[in-house]
Amino acid sequence: MNNLRELSWSVIFTWVLLATMGLIAIYSATQGPVSQFLPEYIQNNFYKQVGWVAVSVFIMIGILIVPPRNFVQLSYVFYAFGIILMILTLLFGREVNGAKSWIGIGPFGGQSSEIMKVATILAAANYLTSRRNISAENVKYALTTVAIILIPTIIVILQNDLGTALIFLTLIPVMLFWSGLPYGVSLFIISPAVIAYLSVIEWYYGAIAAIILSFIIFLVQRRVWLTITSLITGLLTISGIQLALTQLLQPHQIARIAAFTNPSYDPTGAGWNVIQAKTAIGSGGLTGKGFLEGTQTQLKFLPEQWTDFVFCVIGEEFGFIGATIVIVAFLFLFVRLLNMAGNHKHPFAQLFIVSVTAVFFTHFFINVGSASALLPVIGLPLPFISYGGSAFIVNTVMLGICLNMDFHKREFSIYR
Amino acid sequence: MSPAESNRTRTSIRALQVIMISMTLIVLGRIFYLQVVEYDTYAALGQENSVRQEYVDPARGLIYDRNGTLIVDNEPIFSITITPSLFDREKIPLLASLMGVHKSVIKARVLQAQEYSWYRTSRLFTEIDFKRFSLIQENLWQLPGIGHQIESKRHYPTDIKASHVLGYLREANESEYQNSPELRLGDKIGKSGLELTYEDSLRGELGIRYLKVNAFGQELGNFEQEELGRIPVQGSDLISTIDVELQKFTEELMKGKRGAVVVMNPNTGAILALASSPSYDQSKLAGRLDLDYWQSINADSTTPLYNRAISSRQPPGSTFKPLMGIIGLHLGIVTPKTKVYNSGAYIRGRAYRDLADVGEYDLKKAITFSSNTYFLSLMDKIATQGKLNEWSKLVKDFGLGVPLNIDLNNATAGIIPDSTYLNNRFGVRKWGLGDVLNFGIGQGLISASPLQIAVMTSAIANGGYRVEPHLVQAIRNSEGKISRKQPAVRKIDWVKPEYLAEVKKGMRGVVTEGSGRWYANIPNLEVAGKTGTAQNPHGLDHGWFTTFAPIDNPEIVVTAFIENAGFASVSAAPVASLITEKYLTGEIKRKWIYDHVINFKPTDPDADESDTNTETTAANE
Repeated sequence: MNNLRELSWSVIFTWVLLATMGLIAIYSATQGPVSQFLPEYIQNNFYKQVGWVAVSVFIMIGILIVPPRNFVQLSYVFYAFGIILMILTLLFGREVNGAKSWIGIGPFGGQSSEIMKVATILAAANYLTSRRNISAENVKYALTTVAIILIPTIIVILQNDLGTALIFLTLIPVMLFWSGLPYGVSLFIISPAVIAYLSVIEWYYGAIAAIILSFIIFLVQRRVWLTITSLITGLLTISGIQLALTQLLQPHQIARIAAFTNPSYDPTGAGWNVIQAKTAIGSGGLTGKGFLEGTQTQLKFLPEQWTDFVFCVIGEEFGFIGATIVIVAFLFLFVRLLNMAGNHKHPFAQLFIVSVTAVFFTHFFINVGSASALLPVIGLPLPFISYGGSAFIVNTVMLGICLNMDFHKREFSIYR
Repeated sequence: MSPAESNRTRTSIRALQVIMISMTLIVLGRIFYLQVVEYDTYAALGQENSVRQEYVDPARGLIYDRNGTLIVDNEPIFSITITPSLFDREKIPLLASLMGVHKSVIKARVLQAQEYSWYRTSRLFTEIDFKRFSLIQENLWQLPGIGHQIESKRHYPTDIKASHVLGYLREANESEYQNSPELRLGDKIGKSGLELTYEDSLRGELGIRYLKVNAFGQELGNFEQEELGRIPVQGSDLISTIDVELQKFTEELMKGKRGAVVVMNPNTGAILALASSPSYDQSKLAGRLDLDYWQSINADSTTPLYNRAISSRQPPGSTFKPLMGIIGLHLGIVTPKTKVYNSGAYIRGRAYRDLADVGEYDLKKAITFSSNTYFLSLMDKIATQGKLNEWSKLVKDFGLGVPLNIDLNNATAGIIPDSTYLNNRFGVRKWGLGDVLNFGIGQGLISASPLQIAVMTSAIANGGYRVEPHLVQAIRNSEGKISRKQPAVRKIDWVKPEYLAEVKKGMRGVVTEGSGRWYANIPNLEVAGKTGTAQNPHGLDHGWFTTFAPIDNPEIVVTAFIENAGFASVSAAPVASLITEKYLTGEIKRKWIYDHVINFKPTDPDADESDTNTETTAANE
């Protein structure tokens, strides 16, 4: 047994801190004065979450004990199991908030896509580090990796859970980048996302971004054809977005995007969530309105305030100070995890930790970005804070595996 | 791991860290911007969201009759409101089933509300019954954008109309609500009658309350900072001088006729009943405006909105003769013993016919039998002695030709000419004795309202005191404090008891032996009165009868004026007499007179009035 002092206690402390902040926010959002406007099953979310957190403590301890090589050995099994579960969900699952993502028997069950996150990371990481000299520069390896990630992505899209699909898609550039894809090419892969985001706001923002990004790619890679391809891809993205906005998308989807760029366009329709979320955060001020005192929260002006908009509850009731504590805690977690990866000698551990960090970060950025109207509203939970059993457990599992590999660093490094 | 590999690892870690730190800082900056920089904006938005300012209308003051019977109170009306921007169209079927109407009705009304304003609250249904109202209230939580509202409308619990006394409420117009901090768009204010005169007392003070509301628009009780609100002050109650029983009886008698009746306490000026016919039904003007009804009473050629009792200007005819007698005695032109011979006409430039029997007339007899000659000769002397302006002043002391300080709007001053008036009217020196002479018999340019004749009669009855006619005797504020109104009763200093005694004898004679002997004489009651005819160039003459009783300690004055009624002795006299009987004895013994009045139809002018070409024919009544 290793010396317990080698365990990254600061990460564990951050995990406890985030879970506690989450429980406080969920309590306020479901058990506060607002409870009179909520159905009983939602009021009970707080107690359920307490249960999940308690279970997660044991899961965390259990994972820390398991020898790390098991995760490598069982990664494909997990992956296969996950895919089967996802397909079953697609066929027999229950619809929650418009997404057919919940599977279970009786009261036991969860979102299979959550389990799939960790399974996909394990499988892709295992594949990319299974042999020496595997590099994402090799098209065959790169495409196989993309396939490993795209299969669950497609199933998630079929389940109508676009937010989670975005998480899977993020894994592609991150994992390829880590596995040797040149910086310029990595930038090229993520450039459409940046261009798309900006061109939704104004098409010429996208155009400016496309030119700047292509220029950076040229500076990094010095390859003319890549630069030209990047520029063309950028322009195609902009035209695609314009076409989608004007021709392809359903009116309610367009309304949601229009609400993001200009909430006052339709303040009671699609813009409602955006305005109420911003108002909740903004009216919290420096110190917040106090626990259970947030009018936006307690009078139910916030939608989904125990999950997707949980950050607004913290922002409103605990103000900038509370919000900063959460943000800094996350930032600490990201930096600390990346350092953990950098200090690790085993490529599987490195890739796994980096991918998990990327997943956490994407969740964090999209959730807080949506709540503060930096991004269009994309329904994704805030890790360790939002209500949700499967998400909390799987996030704990992912964090636990990271801690496990860091904890067992020396013995794992010699494992090949 | 090769050095190159580890180098790349380090670079990649740094790159990822830089990306994540900078993106997190963007998020933090965004939160800082919202919470610290833009705090004021969002704090206000949050407050606006969850706190709703609401005006609380004060309950309008009630109106009671002299005996404490409630005549005007308030009735709650329940309305359902909608704020279209918050409304969820998918709730239309639910709302339709709760309201018990078809979906298309809701759709149409929602559309109408949207056209008015997308964001402002307007009424979706008004005056719905309480059961439905409660049903909606219970389901408000699943009906975003739907609200409820309790307003009130005037309610008239008795079966009197008294529309010209009470008046009606209408929505304040733009200049009215912009000039008053107490009024808002859509508020109703008194537009006529006591509702208008006592608007400030009745209205009360607007309250303000701050309510906490949730995202569904549900009210969650008062906002913590209750001191910001203001409790509405209930309007003051009016205790009127009206006697409901008498008013009801008066209206019953006047039904189907055109004209007015004023019933007054001659000692105080308190109006016991006041009716103008045709009238309107003000309960139809309360609450939701019945536009058809409003247009119909406005367009009606018989002008039901017009208050004939105080606004109508008519020649007083022979009802003016007793006052002429008093003035004649005061000016020393006649004494009670002075006799004037009636030869059937008074000749002065032309012949003024006198239908009274030929013979000698002293003042008492001249009043009793309404001899024109006596009063024409009296007016002749007043004019030729250059006392026209003095005469005018003396007449005005009795409340004619001057504005009366009654608590109703649109009361006319009537006309009692003097030389200035005639100079303005005809030009200096363009008028002569011929224009003045028939003032003596209440004809020509002089005119008065029924109310003024009642005031004049009161002064004769009460021993020469000028009363101020009034309809409200006390105002009780919301704390129950009563302030009594004591309208001035002023002695007309030049009037001596002996003048009045003489005139009263003449007026008593009218009822016992003159034209009033059939319809105006009440057994066992000492009634006095005087008939009169207001000449009407457009049709049948209008009839007057003014009466008071008992003659020595008068308790009541009744002045009745019936348009196009022909002879006043059969039209106005029985109306006034029945009211007097009812008031003093509490019952109607002369059933046949009652039946006569109820079935009275004005006689055909061509068949009955053979002398309409002669100016003074009917004035002899």
